Amino acid sequence: MITFESVTKRYPGGTVAVDALDLEIPDGQTMVLVGPSGCGKTTSLRMINRLIDPSEGRIMLDGTDISTVEAPRLRRGIGYVIQQAGLFPHRTIEDNIATVPLLEGWNKAKARDRARELMDLVGLDANMARRYPYQLSGGQQQRVGVARALAADPPVLLMDEPFSAVDPIVRSSLQDELIRLQNELHKTVVLVTHDVEEAIKVGDQVAVFYPHGKIAQLDTPQHLLGSPADEYVENFLGFDRGIRRLAFFSAGQLDLETGTVLAADTTVEAARAAAQRCGEPWVLVTDGGNRQPQGWFAVSDLDRQPDRETLGSLSLPLAPLGHTFQVGRDSLRAALDATVLSRTGRAAGVDGDGRVVGITTYERLRAAIQTAEQAGLDGNPDQPAFREGRTTPEAQQAGADDAAEPAGEGVRPS
Amino acid sequence: MSWAWQNRDQIGHLLASHLYLALLPVLFGIVVAVPVGIMCVRWRWTWPPILSLTSIFYAMPSLALYLVLIAYTGLTDWTVIIPLTLFSLSVLIPNVVDGLRSVPPPVKQAAVAMGFGATRRTIQVELPLAVPVIIAGLRVATVSSISLVSVGQLIGIGGLGYLFTDGEQRDFTTEIWVGLILIILLALLFDGLLVLARRWLTPWEARAPRQERRRVVQVALRGANAGVKGGSI
Repeated sequence: MITFESVTKRYPGGTVAVDALDLEIPDGQTMVLVGPSGCGKTTSLRMINRLIDPSEGRIMLDGTDISTVEAPRLRRGIGYVIQQAGLFPHRTIEDNIATVPLLEGWNKAKARDRARELMDLVGLDANMARRYPYQLSGGQQQRVGVARALAADPPVLLMDEPFSAVDPIVRSSLQDELIRLQNELHKTVVLVTHDVEEAIKVGDQVAVFYPHGKIAQLDTPQHLLGSPADEYVENFLGFDRGIRRLAFFSAGQLDLETGTVLAADTTVEAARAAAQRCGEPWVLVTDGGNRQPQGWFAVSDLDRQPDRETLGSLSLPLAPLGHTFQVGRDSLRAALDATVLSRTGRAAGVDGDGRVVGITTYERLRAAIQTAEQAGLDGNPDQPAFREGRTTPEAQQAGADDAAEPAGEGVRPS
Repeated sequence: MSWAWQNRDQIGHLLASHLYLALLPVLFGIVVAVPVGIMCVRWRWTWPPILSLTSIFYAMPSLALYLVLIAYTGLTDWTVIIPLTLFSLSVLIPNVVDGLRSVPPPVKQAAVAMGFGATRRTIQVELPLAVPVIIAGLRVATVSSISLVSVGQLIGIGGLGYLFTDGEQRDFTTEIWVGLILIILLALLFDGLLVLARRWLTPWEARAPRQERRRVVQVALRGANAGVKGGSI
């Protein structure tokens, strides 16, 4: 646990970077400090490992006032990742990663073994061990930076705008990687960013800073999006926070239509009857055996087809399936996105093997959102919220697989 | 050239003494410049006075210094070595300081944040990264020193410089040419050795990939070729 006790940082000339900050950072969580430049978020971070000393107040790390610990010793117990990695250009990748163990007096062989272990953990190929930083891409360098910070297995990890210097696709995959690592390691992570999307994606808790070194709101990402404390926070979050918030509700809450999910060997007559029973203008055709979705037929088109024919034998073209969403893993946001993009105004929810579970419509989405909002308002704020890609061990696996792909929800046919 | 062959023993002696007189000051220079440079970076207030001092060393005419030193060190090698050491320092100290300051701020900050103490940080991070700049300074100091030794001949201690005064007195141009060519060759040789030393010490520096270098050479050759053809028309 890291505790800021009315910490102030005042620079000569009277600029106040951090103003009487009180903050508790619980163990094993990711705390994101976010705000515009000059808001004191970076200063706050750097006070934790004494790169900057506070003018007033004190910072406690697990009950010890950090100003009583010798700075280099304190720092070796706190991992630090900086923008553009800040690798040592004259050291090989393995020696960069082994920096802190070597400072701690490990022997070289043991330190290098540890370095190889970490390369594996952060997804770096072992043949890079003997290369120099200039031979790596920006994204790879940043992975080395993370591995170096974790080398001595510190309980606390400080990350100073760690992903801001890489392109958006690499950034997104590094963020996924951080989430995956954190699921595995449960470090106390403090991450500084000016990117509110990043804060919401990786944070368990997010502290939004005013421009002058005070915290405007400290909350979970879900509550931040749901109830911003004031106009400043609301503006900072951006205009589509309502939709972004849906990322915190599971698509599993949807009451899906199943009556119009029809196998290809269903007769036209039976299909018309099913559609009428459900009051649906579209039916979803699956390939019978393993319920893989194929596409849509409009009920109005089926009216002109012979009763006895099966859906699979019609020469009528199927309306394209569009994107699907995975019921157990994806959020309401993904389901809404798939529905908005679909020509039929409907989207198919599938399970992990791509089998259709059911169909959602705008009406069903609206009902699910309303229920979720209500539960969110009534619910226990300490209860862990649904997070896309990190609910169950199974879902974690899926999240890791996603890391290689560009950001996005659902299936994107190209 | 037959003259040079006949006098190879004497020329060999002169060559050895020339190297001794030229390289010892550079060695002294680097041994002093590294700690002084580190001091100037660590305690910033020491830098301005030391910079002024190095400028004075640099501006001082070496001949005058030889003459002044004779009173103290007599006609010994030290009378040449001391002024050349001061000259080396005037080149090397600013280079060490620049080299240490050229270390990128994120790298320095990372070193602090990883928990390096000040001394270890200097030795294990900043100094190795300053090597390219320091070696650039060493090249200037070495080549200058090799050339400047011959001035010492005016007080009778100047290595290959002997060939200049002797050739002049005997009105024998070949001897002067031999001295000149040997000094130039020595300078080129040691400059080349330092370039190799830098390659060896800094495998971590990004260099143009081999293919790129080959391309540069090809372009240069094509240009030269065209020039030759143009000239023949």
